[in-house]
Amino acid sequence: MTAVTPLHPEASLSLALAVIASSSAPIVLLDGNLCVIAASTSFYQAFLIDPKTAAAKKFSQLGAGEWNVAQLSVLLEATAAGIADVHGYEMDLKRPAQNTRRLVLSAQKLDHADASVRLLLTVADVTDARVAEKVKDDLLRDKAILLKEVQHRVANSLQIIASILLQSARKVQSEETRTHLTSAHSRVMSIAAVQQQLAASSVGEVELRSYFEQLCRSLGASMIHDPEQLSIDVNVDKTVTDANISVSLGLVVTELVINALKHAFPNQRKGKITVDYHAKGKDWTLQVGDDGIGMPAKADDAKPGLGTGIVEALSNQLGAEITVADAMPGTRVSIIHRDDVVITDAPQAA
Amino acid sequence: MTSGKGRRPNETEHVMDNPRIAVLVVEDEAVIRMSIVEELEDAGFEVLEASNAAQAIDILIANSRIEVMFTDIDMPGGVDGLKLAASVRDRWPPIKIIVTSGHRRIDVDALPVEARFMTKPYDPNVVIRSIREMTLN
Repeated sequence: MTAVTPLHPEASLSLALAVIASSSAPIVLLDGNLCVIAASTSFYQAFLIDPKTAAAKKFSQLGAGEWNVAQLSVLLEATAAGIADVHGYEMDLKRPAQNTRRLVLSAQKLDHADASVRLLLTVADVTDARVAEKVKDDLLRDKAILLKEVQHRVANSLQIIASILLQSARKVQSEETRTHLTSAHSRVMSIAAVQQQLAASSVGEVELRSYFEQLCRSLGASMIHDPEQLSIDVNVDKTVTDANISVSLGLVVTELVINALKHAFPNQRKGKITVDYHAKGKDWTLQVGDDGIGMPAKADDAKPGLGTGIVEALSNQLGAEITVADAMPGTRVSIIHRDDVVITDAPQAA
Repeated sequence: MTSGKGRRPNETEHVMDNPRIAVLVVEDEAVIRMSIVEELEDAGFEVLEASNAAQAIDILIANSRIEVMFTDIDMPGGVDGLKLAASVRDRWPPIKIIVTSGHRRIDVDALPVEARFMTKPYDPNVVIRSIREMTLN
């Protein structure tokens, strides 16, 4: 460790002036009368002032009078008198034949051994930074508007698709074809419901409970003719999933509910369909059950329909297994995802 | 059509006995309009249709029997569905209004009192159910 040698007063003045002259940020050293003692080369260059004309001139008289701003002069005088500091004072520097520049100025009285008053004024040109900020703000706003516009278009397009499917269902003669077309309509509405949930969320995630509730309300509205006769109960925990998984889960629910409505309650049989979803860690179980007539004795006699294919494909995609059980009365389909393939026999709390 | 009139006031207000409630559908997208118009006609309503707010106003002036207006919010031509709904509330206060939009967020305060909002895509059955509920009295 070497001790710092104190500088001779003249040497320290010369050092101070050299520091000021070489500062890359524009700075100006003023005396108590607000006359320029020294300024950095960067100051002269940035504001196009000839250093030869500046020496001992009042700061307000620099250039062609563009620095002669009454409010700034008052603030600087107050700073020199020790009753104020200039901190982040903003002004427009207006010069003939030049673009207006936005400046942020700060000045403070220097605390030093000499009794003479010295002010250090820093001048930052923030014009370009402000322009960049504004461009960024504009882009963000444009992006938000664009996103809303896209969501709006998606909703409108889905409405057109749904309308065409329903129109087609109305026009066909075959009851079977009509059923297919109304199922297709329900599938489109199921995806649309995710879209609506997503539009309401800012993070691209979907709250499963409100999604399934909306989905089943919509399925009920279009497929249940007498709400007294059939109802759909939704029992979902607070799980939040990303959009893709939600779309898959929603389509599975749609297929299973459509299937139950189609087959479980013939001859105006009364009943209830229940949709359950519960997650624990990364494991989850989706169940759709009904209290209808139950599965046909021979499940193999009918060719599996599109709905079955969709449920199988999506369960596979979700890494889940399908089990179908006799719920006595009715049928219960479970879609079970276990994150850990190795099943551990953890003791259950009684 | 006169079948909507002359109904006995104390007649049971069962929805199916209420066959000719006049509904005005305002929607600029032709396919969507065609579909909802047919659905509403099948449900037993008398349906009038307009593809913009100006047409809607003309039809409202010419048809005092309109009880419900079902309108899209986002329409070209300066007057959107919300402004239309506001002017209908001012000029024809008894008319029930259902507005629909693909935009998720709708300022509910901007809606007239007797109004409902539905996000697109809506299910025609939900629209039918709403119209029946709103015209029950």
